[in-house]
Amino acid sequence: MNLSASTAASVPLSEKAQQLAQRWGYTLLLLLGCGVLTLLVLAPLYTLLSKSVKNKAGDFVGLENFAQYLGSGAVESALFNSLWVAGLSTVVVVLLAFMAAWALTRTRLPLTGLIRGILVVPILAPSLLSAISLVYLFGNQGVLKSWLFGAEIYGPIGVVLGSCFWTFPHALMILLTAMENADGRHYEAATSLKASPWRIFWTVTVPGARYGLVSAAFVVFTLVITDFGVPKVIGGQFDVLATDIYKQVVGQQRFEMGAVVSVLLLLPALLAFVADRYVQRKQTASFTAQSTPYKPRANKARDWFGALMLLPAVVFILAIIGMAIYASLVTFWPYNLEMSFRNYQFDLMDGGGWGAYINSVQMALGAMVFGTALVFFNAWLMERTPQPSGLKGLFHLLSLLPLAVPGLVLGLSYIFFFNDPNNPLNMIYGSLLILILCTVAHFYAVSHLTAITALKQLDREFEAVGESLKASRWRVLVTVTLPLCLPAILDVALYLFVNAMTTVSAVVFLYGHDSQLASVAVLNMDEAGDIAPAAAMAVLITITCAGAKLVQGLLRFWLDRSTRAWRQGKV
Amino acid sequence: MKQSIQGSRLVVKNVGKHFGDFCALRDINLEVEPGELVCFLGPSGCGKTTLLRIIAGLETQSSGSLYQGGDDISLKPPHARDFGIVFQSYALFPNMTVADNVAYGLRSVGAPKQQIQHRVCELLTTVGLPDQAKKYPTQLSGGQQQRVALARALAPSPGLLLLDEPLSALDAKVRNHLRAEIRHLQQQLGVTTIMVTHDQEEALAMADRVVVMNNGVIEQVGTPVEVYQQPASAFVAEFIGAMNFMDSAAVNDRSVQLGSRVLHLPKPLPRGKGAVRLAIRPEDVHLQPITGDGWEAQVNTLDYLGAFVRTQVTLRGCGLRLVVDVDPRSARELGLAQGAWVNVTLPSDSLHCFAA
Repeated sequence: MNLSASTAASVPLSEKAQQLAQRWGYTLLLLLGCGVLTLLVLAPLYTLLSKSVKNKAGDFVGLENFAQYLGSGAVESALFNSLWVAGLSTVVVVLLAFMAAWALTRTRLPLTGLIRGILVVPILAPSLLSAISLVYLFGNQGVLKSWLFGAEIYGPIGVVLGSCFWTFPHALMILLTAMENADGRHYEAATSLKASPWRIFWTVTVPGARYGLVSAAFVVFTLVITDFGVPKVIGGQFDVLATDIYKQVVGQQRFEMGAVVSVLLLLPALLAFVADRYVQRKQTASFTAQSTPYKPRANKARDWFGALMLLPAVVFILAIIGMAIYASLVTFWPYNLEMSFRNYQFDLMDGGGWGAYINSVQMALGAMVFGTALVFFNAWLMERTPQPSGLKGLFHLLSLLPLAVPGLVLGLSYIFFFNDPNNPLNMIYGSLLILILCTVAHFYAVSHLTAITALKQLDREFEAVGESLKASRWRVLVTVTLPLCLPAILDVALYLFVNAMTTVSAVVFLYGHDSQLASVAVLNMDEAGDIAPAAAMAVLITITCAGAKLVQGLLRFWLDRSTRAWRQGKV
Repeated sequence: MKQSIQGSRLVVKNVGKHFGDFCALRDINLEVEPGELVCFLGPSGCGKTTLLRIIAGLETQSSGSLYQGGDDISLKPPHARDFGIVFQSYALFPNMTVADNVAYGLRSVGAPKQQIQHRVCELLTTVGLPDQAKKYPTQLSGGQQQRVALARALAPSPGLLLLDEPLSALDAKVRNHLRAEIRHLQQQLGVTTIMVTHDQEEALAMADRVVVMNNGVIEQVGTPVEVYQQPASAFVAEFIGAMNFMDSAAVNDRSVQLGSRVLHLPKPLPRGKGAVRLAIRPEDVHLQPITGDGWEAQVNTLDYLGAFVRTQVTLRGCGLRLVVDVDPRSARELGLAQGAWVNVTLPSDSLHCFAA
């Protein structure tokens, strides 16, 4: 063998450059991804934080704003109200969701598919829908007003009920995931040790679901304490932190104070985020490859009990949705109960009319397309290309950060960041584009986690095999990775579309004259007293989301059918 | 395209690899001849997979260089090298048929359609799956998937075939069958092959030469017979097959003291005096009927393992315990039973001696 010094020395130089370019190319792309997330989340947040320690003129004043806000007295009631309302909603929702999840996973009730479908409907509706529905049910002219025994729905009762409605699916999905992964052997072991069903419930079922319960509680608490739609519509004089931000900023134009309240709101959300991450990490180890999935045995009595457990949630959700639809179709409540589409003539009302709806659909489609592409491309870079581990960690952290930032806080940050005349991106302020960017940022984390999970499930050697077969990573991406990830891509697309249609909290600060949105129109029409059209618009949003879900379902069905051969090994 | 492949020669020179402070490979030197099948054998974490991935270009070495067929490939990215690879998981593309999987590498280089079809057909016949072309990987058994992965790796006629634990995901019967089949195919095609395994039986059965690795260094390179019969280190002796180790002291460079006895060695000791570790394989220890003047030992345990009986005996006097393998017939003739007494001989030409 001839290894002359010349070949050994001269060849590597260009090849080294080539290899470096190849490796650094992917790193640069992921750095770019980090840059995008910094622009969309980190930089606005930083502006917000810095705003909270400056006065109106922009001078640094330390914690003076906080002292002023905390000394005003208003905060104590708002903070206290926020805490107890969120706490109570959490208890109610987690209990109801646990009952429902138990019934769905531990009994053999029929029609579980349909029941599940009904139970997650609230996720397709804007959170305002429940508040409006509650007004029709229990408000001054409500059909069931007498049920409250003289108490007012406008206030904490309404806020708690409304919050329970829209946060229920979030808790249910977490608990279903936690409880579906039960190990059947634990139940067999307990039964063979002669434990009663009651004892099995407390020693096997509940401990098995404990991480799910904790996680669900954190999620619901954060959602309620940072939500502003429900308290805005049905809270009446009942102040909470989230409505206070809105008042400070939109009502009184006191942006510094808005920033202060935002920081206060960020704290519980951050805490919940950290705690939830911790809990999630613990949960992953509980179900292993050796576990055998639990299958409930036939037991009529238990099935009936399960049906009883499902009843409250199903009735509550159907009542709220049903009432909203009914109210939107009644010509003039409560005097003319004839059915008509009069309330759907949005162009006759304030709030943006049908244009707002068109804007919303455009915005949702934009967020869906841009968001899905951005999320998947970045997740692919992080998971399937060679990256320095530090950069991967940094990117992952940036991607999860939006989970800890309430929508209101993000929206306000966007005002501070993009409305700054010195920001070259200032021109997008008030356009549909900023709404798209904000929405993608707002819902980035969950999409990112979905994409990462899907990509992690692929064999880690696909790219290596591809390279040995002289195929670039791009070819492997197009011919293998993307086809295999299509179900997850559809899930992410639907998630972004639905959330973009229903979200209020972040975009309420950001829409401009030409970019009014349907969800914000609900809020504005309600504020203007056009409550029936508000209900109609909320219903329209829900129907649109349901339509999107249907399309996604059909695509999934078609995909499953056409790929069944290679997914399940059957022809 | 022709059926046989011109295997290329591979040279690994002074290759080292560090992950931070951890040294995964230290100064590895190795030459693999064209058409040879070499097994990297060692416990998990010994660096064998890292070395394979460096040869493939999937990891970059911290130091040293690699040459394939005379070309310096040290810094070439994987797609610029000439190899095919089969992973433990096979990594077959699940959304493609068997035929599309095998054709994948040929399509990368833009081979003509007809040629691809012909080559795919030929390879599937070679690996014994001529009628499975239209199926998807999930419709095949583990062993069949393994063959498809092999066909896919061989399709572009690489000069080097890399196998990363290719058989460990299969059950024992299929594994034994495929072992022979891969070896046959490799010899028929003449492709230079490197296989990583932690299974010593697999390595001994298939390899032309075995590279025994431990803690990032090569402990020994040799034919299966060499590494089994003349282990270069105590690690190799213990890792491949079973071995009894006995602490003893050198009397001179040809004999050692064990208990009250002096044993003669087949080879002179490298270092004259001091403590040494004496070793002998369980099947090399001779047991005879008790006579009264031999080296007596008492049977502690007896395990019937089908083809042979594994017994543990304690030597009288020094209290040393030895594991001894006896064929069932001799065991019967000796009347082996728990508590029975036998005479033990340690044949001098079966003794190994290692530094203490």
